[in-house]
Amino acid sequence: MSKGGRARDRADARRIVEQQKAAERRRRVTIWTSAAVVLVLVLAGLIGWRVLASQQKSTATALTTPAGVVDSGTAWSIGAGPVVVDLYEDFMCPICHEFENATGATIKQLVADKKITVRYHTVAILDASSNGTQYSTRAAGAAAAAAIDGKFIEYHDVLYANQPQEGSSGLTDAKLIDLGKSVGLTSTAFVNAINNKTYDAWVAKVTDTFSSRGYSGTPTIVVAGKQLQGVPTTAQFTQAVTQATG
Amino acid sequence: MGVTVEKRQQSARRAAAWPSISTVARLGLAAVFLTAGGLKVGDLAASGRAVNAYRLMSFDAAKVVGAIQPFLEIAVGLLLLVGLAMRLSAAIAALLLVIFVAGIVSAWAHGLQIDCGCFSKGGDLAAGRTAEYGLEILRDVGFLVLAGILLVKPRTRFSIDGLLMGEQ
Repeated sequence: MSKGGRARDRADARRIVEQQKAAERRRRVTIWTSAAVVLVLVLAGLIGWRVLASQQKSTATALTTPAGVVDSGTAWSIGAGPVVVDLYEDFMCPICHEFENATGATIKQLVADKKITVRYHTVAILDASSNGTQYSTRAAGAAAAAAIDGKFIEYHDVLYANQPQEGSSGLTDAKLIDLGKSVGLTSTAFVNAINNKTYDAWVAKVTDTFSSRGYSGTPTIVVAGKQLQGVPTTAQFTQAVTQATG
Repeated sequence: MGVTVEKRQQSARRAAAWPSISTVARLGLAAVFLTAGGLKVGDLAASGRAVNAYRLMSFDAAKVVGAIQPFLEIAVGLLLLVGLAMRLSAAIAALLLVIFVAGIVSAWAHGLQIDCGCFSKGGDLAAGRTAEYGLEILRDVGFLVLAGILLVKPRTRFSIDGLLMGEQ
């Protein structure tokens, strides 16, 4: 064989070895990076699970169920009529406000006429819409304190009358206390409950109960166990009550 | 003969462009997953409610899925961002997207009026707003195309893969 031919053979052999080395390296890198990916995903899942568990635990620890609630301790009952109306409302929800404006007076009349019993479920699904101040939860917690002092409806109405815009920071705790004062809520217990967020964990329970029943939007209006579609007009609401009365 | 050479040069140029295209796809998809996860991670309860709104599982299961999902999305986003095991990461991203599309299709088929919760906390839609399932699916299919590019052409620039393989 010529001299040049041998040199070429050696170069070929070296190239093949290098190619094999490179392939081996790629294989190793692929195996280890894939293992790393799986590990990262498993860790991420575990973190999510742990965070949820610790959040649920702290909610359970902080839970103070206010006296006088009905429906497995998740609602305020107003009136003594035969037809039960369940209202799931968020104090930050503008559609709830519209429903209250349109049909609130009718509901009050039906309660006064002893036609219906209204169960108010003060859920908080719009906490993300108050710049991190969790207005939905704070307002519902304050309403619980108002209910204990026997002024749920009065406070409920004044909260809707002063409803902050969705997406704003909501009303401050001081403003929640002031609004209480304007309807005669002046007890230290009321003020302390707002300042100490006494019933905030309970509001989380109310919201969880709402979700576990398969509801996801507010207002959700249930007349005698039957959910009304969307947001009913006053006429539709009255009709549903009449039908349930039988 | 001149034509063949030209063609060969063209295809070589096209081959050389793939790492750049894949890099754009990788970073785009990373941004999608990081945004989707980041928007949900601050309120896990809301994320659980969004999953529950699809009515595909019990509320207790939905709570767990809703809590894990944002962390998984962020993890996938970070893996794509640094470029680790591109083909596997892209396959996982594609799998997640297929699951999301299946969820939306199921909500659509069952006539649910919900916010998909893709880039928000989801839940029922406010009255007067209609669900735009078609658009949501179209958007997810767009993201799937990005994942598809990465599956077929996993070589990208500025990636840990490239660094470890000794390409850069």
